[in-house]
Amino acid sequence: MNEFLKGSSFKVLVIAVVVLLGLLIYTASAGGSLIASLLGFVSSPMQSVATEITGNVTEFLDIDGLTKGELKELVGSLQEENSALLDRLVEYDSVLRENQQLKTQLHISQEAPEIEMRSASVIGRDPNDVFYGFSINAGTLAGISTGDPVITSRGLVGIVVQASATTSKVNCLLSEDVEVSAISIDKQEVGVVRGSVTMASSGLLRLGFLSSETKLEPGDIITTSGRGSVYPPKLKIGQVQSIEKSETDVSRYAVLKPFEDLSEVREVQVITSFPGQGEDENVVELDPGQDNQEDAE
Amino acid sequence: MKDLNRLIRYLAYTLELLVLFMVQETPGLLPAVAGVRPVLLLPAAVAIAMFEEEVPALAFGIVAGLLCDFGFSRVLGFHALVLGALCFFVSLLVRTRMQANLVTAALNGAWALALTLGAQWLFFYYFRYSQPGFAFRSHYLPKYLYTLLFIPLLYLLNRGLSGALDPAEK
Repeated sequence: MNEFLKGSSFKVLVIAVVVLLGLLIYTASAGGSLIASLLGFVSSPMQSVATEITGNVTEFLDIDGLTKGELKELVGSLQEENSALLDRLVEYDSVLRENQQLKTQLHISQEAPEIEMRSASVIGRDPNDVFYGFSINAGTLAGISTGDPVITSRGLVGIVVQASATTSKVNCLLSEDVEVSAISIDKQEVGVVRGSVTMASSGLLRLGFLSSETKLEPGDIITTSGRGSVYPPKLKIGQVQSIEKSETDVSRYAVLKPFEDLSEVREVQVITSFPGQGEDENVVELDPGQDNQEDAE
Repeated sequence: MKDLNRLIRYLAYTLELLVLFMVQETPGLLPAVAGVRPVLLLPAAVAIAMFEEEVPALAFGIVAGLLCDFGFSRVLGFHALVLGALCFFVSLLVRTRMQANLVTAALNGAWALALTLGAQWLFFYYFRYSQPGFAFRSHYLPKYLYTLLFIPLLYLLNRGLSGALDPAEK
C-alpha cells in the first residue's frame, strides 16, 4: 500500500483529480463557454454528418412507416378534424372582417410584430438527460443566445440554456427546469406549464396553478401568454387531455398533450428576437385562481 | 516500434471514443428500450482500462468523461473525474489482483457503471428534481442494464485492438 501511495502513478492521479475539480468549479461558476465552444468546434460537424446520415437511412428504410390500417385510421381522424377546423375558419373569417372594419372606423393602426428566427437541426440527444434535452447545430455565431425560445411549426418545444459558438443546448418543455406562463385561448385562464419526470416519460406536460373552479376541459388549446417576456405570446403548446386535482392544495392542474412530439423533434427554429423580449425580468408568481378572479372582475 | 505501436493504439482508442460518442448522441441511431438509450462511453472506458497501465487508463477515462460531460451537462469535469478515477482503479485491479477476461470485464463493468450512474443520479437528479425514486426506477436502472449489454462487445473490440497493436510490449 505504501509503495502504491509513493508511486508516480498515484501522484498523477492526485494531480488529475485536483485539476478536474478545478475545471468542475470553474465551469460550474463561469459556465465554461470557452471549453464548450472548443469541444463544439470539434464535435459539431461530425454530429451533423452522423445525424444527416441516420435521417437519410431511416427515411430510405421507411422504419417509421405506417401500416394500411393505421393510415386509414389517421386519414379518418384528420378528415374529421379538418371538417371541424373549416367550420371554425368560416367563423374566424367573419370575425376578422368585422375586426378590420371596426379598426378602420376607430382609426386604430397596429404594427406587425417582428420576430427574428434562425433554423437549426437537432444534432445530439444525450442518453443521460432524463428530460429529453437536445443540442442544435447553431450557436452564438448564428445570433443565438441563452434564453431564446425554441419552436417548430407545431409549437413551442423548449428554451436555449447554453449557447457556445457553433452549438447550443436546449432544455425541452418536459424538463422540470422549464416553466412557461400559459393561457387557454378559449377560456382565457392562465397557468404555468411545467414538466415532471412522471409526465416526461409519457411525453405529457402539466398546466398548474388553475383555480378549483376551472372551466378548462379536454380539447382546449393552450398557448404561451407572453407574461414574463421570456416567450412571445400565442405560441402553441398543447391541448388539454384531462383535469386533475392538485396533490398539495385545492387548486387543479391540467394534463397537456404537446402538439409536437418533444422526444423526437429533428428540425427547429430559434426565436432570437421578439417585441418585448426581456422587458419584464421579474418572475411571475401565481396564486391559484388569482388570474381567473381578475378575469372575472 | 514499441512506441509506434503504442501511439497507434492510443489513436485507435481516441477514435473509438469519438465514434462511440457520435453513436450515443445521434438521435434515432440506437433504439430506445423502455424509453432509455445506452451510454456507450462508460463501458468503453472500462474496457480500455483493462488493457492499459494506470496512467493511460486514467487519461482515457478522463477523455471519455469529458465527452460525456460535453454531451450531457453544462458543467465539465464531473464525469471526467469519476471515470478517470474509476478507470485508474480498474487498471490497477486488473494488473495486480485479477486476469483480463470476459467474466472480469463484466464484473468490473457492473460495479464501475453502478458507481458512475449512481453518482450521476445523486448529483444531477436527487438534489435538483422531484420524485428521485421514480427517476431511478424508470430511467437510471433501465439505462444501467441496457449499457451493461455492451460490455462484452466493447471488451472484445478492445482486446482485439490491444492484441493487434502491442505485441512488441508483451
